[in-house]
Amino acid sequence: MESQQLTTLTGVIDKKMNRQLKQYMDICARCAICKDACHQYVGTGDFKYLPARRAELIRQIYKKYFTKAGEFVPALYEARDPDENLLEELYESTYACTGCRRCMYYCPFSIDTAWILSVAKSILIAAGMGNEMLGQLADAAIFKGDNAEMFEDVMISGFKEIEEEVRQITGNPEAQVPVGKQGADVLYVALAGAHSIRPAAVIFEEAGENWTISMFEAANYGFFYGDAEKARLITKRYIDEAKRLGVKEIVVPECGHAYRVAEFFYEAWSKEPMPFKVSHILEKVDDYIKSGRITVDKGIIQGKVTYHDPCQLGRNGGKFEQPRDIVKAVTDNFVDLTPNREKQWCCGGGGGIVAMEEFTKTRLASGIKKVEQLKASGASVLACPCENCRLQIEELNDIHELGLEIWQVIDLVVAAMPLPGNKKAAE
Amino acid sequence: METYLYITAVIGVYVGFAVFIIGMGWRAYQWATTPKSPVKLGMFPKPKTRVGRFFKLMKDTFIAPQSASIEPRMWLFSFMFHFAALAAFVGHLRIIQEYPILPELLGEEGMNAFAGWAGGIAGVLMMVAVIYWIARRTFGPFKQLSVPEDYLLLALLFGVIIMGNHMRFFGHGVHAETYRAWFQSLLAFRPMLPSELVYSNVGWSLGTHMLFTDLLFIYFPFSKLVHTIGAFSANLVRSE
Ligand code: HEM
Ligand code: SF4
Ligand code: SF4
Repeated sequence: MESQQLTTLTGVIDKKMNRQLKQYMDICARCAICKDACHQYVGTGDFKYLPARRAELIRQIYKKYFTKAGEFVPALYEARDPDENLLEELYESTYACTGCRRCMYYCPFSIDTAWILSVAKSILIAAGMGNEMLGQLADAAIFKGDNAEMFEDVMISGFKEIEEEVRQITGNPEAQVPVGKQGADVLYVALAGAHSIRPAAVIFEEAGENWTISMFEAANYGFFYGDAEKARLITKRYIDEAKRLGVKEIVVPECGHAYRVAEFFYEAWSKEPMPFKVSHILEKVDDYIKSGRITVDKGIIQGKVTYHDPCQLGRNGGKFEQPRDIVKAVTDNFVDLTPNREKQWCCGGGGGIVAMEEFTKTRLASGIKKVEQLKASGASVLACPCENCRLQIEELNDIHELGLEIWQVIDLVVAAMPLPGNKKAAE
Repeated sequence: METYLYITAVIGVYVGFAVFIIGMGWRAYQWATTPKSPVKLGMFPKPKTRVGRFFKLMKDTFIAPQSASIEPRMWLFSFMFHFAALAAFVGHLRIIQEYPILPELLGEEGMNAFAGWAGGIAGVLMMVAVIYWIARRTFGPFKQLSVPEDYLLLALLFGVIIMGNHMRFFGHGVHAETYRAWFQSLLAFRPMLPSELVYSNVGWSLGTHMLFTDLLFIYFPFSKLVHTIGAFSANLVRSE
């Protein structure tokens, strides 16, 4: 292949090389134990989605250009150039991966295939094959960060409308959605859309929290796209805002990857220690309920309720119990999915895949395990925090006619709070 | 026969051992000197204490309960292979130095009979596991995942095991003392091949056992078998 392209692509691997990657490249036994862990391989039976196969493409380049044995006897390892064929398959298998890391959980060597694929994304981007949709969404977010004043009026009027709704629901004419409040304790970084702000605002106001809303969203398409610099800039928008406002704590919304980005990735990208405490909103809510800062009534939510652990929140974020405790506080009729917690099946909607139409077929086929789990649970209500998970499960719910009522957890909480506006909202 | 054995059971052993030690040392050095990933790659639930991390590492590496739960049959055969290989390794130590205590309890006859049984069982288990692995790779729906390296390793292992078993089951009258005389001469750098070994009915099988073993050891550091040391640090990452 063309030597300049080759130098560029192997250069990317060289730059991204670290101990974990090197070990993963060297030790995988190709035992394929990971195959049954991956909802995409299980759902489609397509070889390219077998986790070890996805990583194997990077390994083939690694063997040829980073090991002597592979350089001398490439055939032994099927070592090869990152040519067009390889890159095309790599594109398909890399951007489809939801980053759930269920394969890592079951691998006898704990090989983090999703981490290997983050290098694959860098290679694809260098080859001009980064996913366009994710790239555009990332750039739009960065543009907004650079030109915040352009968006300010629209944002603020949106917050005002939500504030009206919050006043109705809480029956408190003083209730607020505070914008740019200096000296607030908590900066809440929501998702785009009132659904992610309204219930949180109700809860914060009822709990008497000293909070303020961020002008930016917690979603990070730079992370899904696979460009650490873009991802850093997108996160930096609210980090700078938090510094400016002098808050003590950043609270991210129910969204799974937003939590992981803030808690685990930002420090590595920015090479500075995270200056704030990072909390997931459900940690806060659980704490408010347990400490009596808000009250919820059982018996308002009808039917058997179950809970889906988003991979980025559960297995990869460590928040297993708080969301469950919240759900159990609003109903006595709770049933867990099987398997659950760190073994939970990925719903198939993570990693930005819901934004990439080209993967719709794979995505829907990969949801089959989630569908089976939901059916087996016998639940009629699903509490599901992550927005990507919810989009996916809502679609599965329609296609497979599961008849589930699907709720954000904070919506469940607000519905179960004894508030004057609730009756109306429920109708 | 002497020349064949001189090549595989003398020169080959030195070469194989040297390549293995230097190669594995080099591999470990490369890993140790490559900076760690900037992002913590652990997953939950994580043990909070050092002791907890250590026990989890041992459990994940030696028992692999997660792998067992997802593909019990594969796990069973793998467990069988690895523990039989460990047992075989321990058994082989007898050709360096006779064990303390055991031979006194069992007597010379008894000790040889015990070694015969234990080694025989380990050898058969390993053989069965390797056959299972070859079959699983060749006929599994994911057979395209395998690369020639996988088959080469399994073939070498198969050769080592078959020839070892041949010596074990057909080497009547050739016991550990004879092998020990040969192996200790290697350790003393005054190689010597006892004639009762060379001209016995297992002379050629020792030669071939050593041929495969030499090749396996030479290839070891350049293969996925570096998981022998890599498994520990990779599994530790789970708790980081
Ligand atoms: C502490 C040492 C070792 C540990 C913890 C270990 C662990 C593992 C694990 C977890 C696997 C992957 C899945 C499986 O097949 O069970 C594996 C595969 C394998 N191991 Fe080991 N191993 C060790 C030493 C060795 C040694 C010394 C050999 C060779 C003599 C060996 C030969 C193999 C082979 C050939 C496979 C691949 C099986 C296949 O083709 O699918 N291992 N090992
Ligand atoms: S389970 Fe782990 S070692 Fe086995 S093929 Fe998959 S990634 Fe490789
Ligand atoms: S991280 Fe999830 S989607 Fe990606 S390969 Fe592993 S199991 Fe499959």
